[in-house]
Amino acid sequence: MKYDAIVIGGGHNGLVNAAYLARAGKKVLVLERRERVGGAAVTEEVFPGFKFSVFSYVVSLLRPEIIRDLDLPGHGLHILPLESTITPLPNGDYLGQWGDHDQNRRELYRHSPRDAEAYDDYGREMHFMAKAVQPILGMVPPDPTSLAPSDLLGLLRLSRHFRNLGREQFHALYKLMTMSSADFLDEWFENDALKATKSASGIIGTFLGPRSPGTAYVLLHHYMGEIDGVFRAWGFAKGGTGAVSEAIAAAARRFGAQIRTGASVASVSVKGNRATGVVLEHGEEIEAGVVVSGIDPRQTFINLVGEKHLPDDFTAAIKRYKFRGSSGKVNLALSELPDFTCLPGVGPHLRGAISISPSLDYVERAYDDAKYGAFSRRPYMDVVIPSMIDPGMAPPGKHVMSCFVQYAPFDVQGGWDDRKREAFGDAVVDTLAEFAPNLKRAILHRQVLTPADIERVTGLSEGNIFQGELALHQLFFLRPAASFAKYRTPLRGLYQCGAGTHPGGGIMGASGRLAAVEILKDGA
Amino acid sequence: MTDAIVIGAGVNGLVTAAYLARAGRNVTVLEARTHQERASEIGWIPPRVIRDLDLVRHGLTVTPPDPWISAPLPAGGRLELWQDLSKSVESIRRVSPKDAERWPRFTERMAKLARLLETLYLAPPPDLHSTRVSELLRLAGFGWRARRAGKETIVDLLRILPMSVQELLDDWFEHDTLKAILGAGGVSHICEGPRSGGTAFVLLHHHVGSPRGVFRRAAWKGVGAFEEAARARGVTVKRGAEVRAIVVKDGRAAGVALASGETLPASVVASSADTARTLLGLVEASWLDPEFVRAVQHIKTRGVTARVKLTLAKAPDFERLLVAPTLEYLERAYDDAKYGRVSSRPCIEARAEGSTVHADVQYVPHTLREGAWDDPRRNALGDLVVKLLGDAVPGLAPRVTAREVLTPKDLDARFGFPGGHLYHGELTLDQILFMRPVPACANYVTPVEGLYLCGAATHPGGGILGASGFNAARAMLGGTR
Repeated sequence: MKYDAIVIGGGHNGLVNAAYLARAGKKVLVLERRERVGGAAVTEEVFPGFKFSVFSYVVSLLRPEIIRDLDLPGHGLHILPLESTITPLPNGDYLGQWGDHDQNRRELYRHSPRDAEAYDDYGREMHFMAKAVQPILGMVPPDPTSLAPSDLLGLLRLSRHFRNLGREQFHALYKLMTMSSADFLDEWFENDALKATKSASGIIGTFLGPRSPGTAYVLLHHYMGEIDGVFRAWGFAKGGTGAVSEAIAAAARRFGAQIRTGASVASVSVKGNRATGVVLEHGEEIEAGVVVSGIDPRQTFINLVGEKHLPDDFTAAIKRYKFRGSSGKVNLALSELPDFTCLPGVGPHLRGAISISPSLDYVERAYDDAKYGAFSRRPYMDVVIPSMIDPGMAPPGKHVMSCFVQYAPFDVQGGWDDRKREAFGDAVVDTLAEFAPNLKRAILHRQVLTPADIERVTGLSEGNIFQGELALHQLFFLRPAASFAKYRTPLRGLYQCGAGTHPGGGIMGASGRLAAVEILKDGA
Repeated sequence: MTDAIVIGAGVNGLVTAAYLARAGRNVTVLEARTHQERASEIGWIPPRVIRDLDLVRHGLTVTPPDPWISAPLPAGGRLELWQDLSKSVESIRRVSPKDAERWPRFTERMAKLARLLETLYLAPPPDLHSTRVSELLRLAGFGWRARRAGKETIVDLLRILPMSVQELLDDWFEHDTLKAILGAGGVSHICEGPRSGGTAFVLLHHHVGSPRGVFRRAAWKGVGAFEEAARARGVTVKRGAEVRAIVVKDGRAAGVALASGETLPASVVASSADTARTLLGLVEASWLDPEFVRAVQHIKTRGVTARVKLTLAKAPDFERLLVAPTLEYLERAYDDAKYGRVSSRPCIEARAEGSTVHADVQYVPHTLREGAWDDPRRNALGDLVVKLLGDAVPGLAPRVTAREVLTPKDLDARFGFPGGHLYHGELTLDQILFMRPVPACANYVTPVEGLYLCGAATHPGGGILGASGFNAARAMLGGTR
């Protein structure tokens, strides 16, 4: 039985891609290796009664047009806002950033009147720049090396876009793209904890510290969601991030796509210069007009296609494409809520994020450890308690806590093993317990995931959560390789739709959608 | 009356003056210091400037070092890289046949990129927002030149410029010493480590003007040549003339006021001092927009390179020597600087001139987080440098008869380098081209009409001698025509 399209990998991008292709009337089959769809966006009952968004834990940039086109709310997607971030400080105080403007201003004023004044200007500027960048996220990158009219037109459109921003905004954007988040924030603020907490969003998923150039532009991500006007920048999906994947899968099925789980692809079939289908692990062959890969570039080209079917320079480019997974995840089942010394008891702060980022030096030192092959002894963490917002995630009276941790290098010296994994888990718990002393006795179960675990379970190379680092030289028309950033590949009939293509990581779905647009354009 | 006053008799100030005079202007250069002193002896002087100003006739000599670098190998001996490509390949082959095989290809690609940069450097920075046909044609011309250099070069340009030098080198080479030699070029005069983005660009910046396969600049001699060339074109150079303020009348530069109390009128003023000193120090603040002031205050000038001069009893056995065995060594040296400390094991690049050794020592912060620079700290730094150089060159330490340690703080005081930064501003990606020194001053102009910038703070910046001055003079002649 022949399909119009086979999508390899049932992660959110693969599912989005399948949904759009099916919506256009194509006969689509999604093949997912695991028993559940979602890839890194899954909810699992890891311990009886305790459900976790095991890997990806917040929904940030899911594209509004996808929510609309696929009617995701109709398929059960419900986003709950995540309104605050508190940063506990070593002196027993804390820095809070609140959703309420006046409350936020009062809080900042307590720490630095100057920063409280600057905050609104900063917000406005970032808002404007996010608006300037937004159209680019929805744009198929033109190929700057090509003389094809469509590429020249694309480049022209791109340069017109930047010129239309006007000089000042363009220069501000240019700085944002090239600076380190620490330097960029130094120009705005003086409070160290504020700078550290903001800078942390620039390092997520990269193997860079807050003082490394190229980390500033991710600061924008916080401001992008707001513009969409659909939901808040950062939020939980009711039922965990798996619910996002389930909703997209439901939409795809509704449009007629088939989804097979437990179906692991062993190779992509190639005849001449064309992909003709896939072969599964157990030997089954499935033919299709086009094959779309939602898994990362290394897995796709090196493992499933094979170098012998690809041009050498392309293979070389894929091989030097950097993954360098740098983050881990610790999921805790708790008998009681953590009691933070800086804000004792239960309060609204537990419904938001808790950021362990007391100073820029603290975060930079965490990076220093990782540079030389160790996990951070005192890591940066982004901690949330989803059961505070969505009680269904834990048994009554009990809680689940998710700790996103950096840095845990994939290439840890000597490799990851059970002992090292537990030592990493201990470092996380010890660090948190300094701010919430009851934490240790509250822990009922603990799941520690290193980049090696992330790779093993989800297939993400080197455990990189974005399918490749979001570094300047791996973005836009260079993601994942020059001349092949338009979702196409050197093989006819083979496409990419994962986060390893523009615009990349986060639960955005944009890669999946843009790939579908291009595939349909090719008349597949 | 003087048509133009140039502040500062450094290379860029004198080149600006000479070009203005060549175009028939009556030019005076004002210099606070009474004697000629070289702030830098290393750098590329564009051949066009040498030719236009007859610098060789006025006594300039440029000596490319050969070998251009030598670095101790862990197993003894040194890795030496030469002006001659095949000789370098032979050297590399002895330590890594694989790297030797890749060297010609690597150097060819880097040379192509450097040539493209060179075309950008001997012209004002591209103005991406210009609506002038001539500027649009120039941009298109650059695009065309990049295209003609081939698809690979375009991809390299887009990909390599924002990269870290370490990632670039890991793509190509395996041998630590070789990577450290190139890596040290990528972090030269910048408060970044080899893992920081934008350091591959710094390597290329320092490659511009050198032959293929040579990643260190020549030393030049003849400090008087620039002044001679300027005087020969009718420029008046006044030494011991310290400018106290730039006189602004009706929003226009009208001349300068000297420390002596004298006021010199002029229709235009060009300053080769750094941006903050010129605009925040010499111009009355009320002429400037607060946003502009903020931008100037934010120019990053984190000087990290100290200079240590050693006098030896006997000339050493090297011409250029690098003490930095691996990229990790460089990165760890940078780590110290991040937290405001002198590197416990710094990167040292030493240049021998007879029995004198000039060592650039990185990273040495201008401002220490704990304590301030004083003689005991200076001495400790001197001891460290002698020890590390002595480890690399057996027998060197006991032959040191005298030494002088200049920290970035001292360089600031002595030469007026802001933050002790030789280039008047770090060459990070956010401070080059149309961003240098700040976007409002990118074309050598300032918010004060008739006041121009012509020093290393402007495009293309430090390490290239006279290019800023050359471009600035052209901008001024265009503007005062």
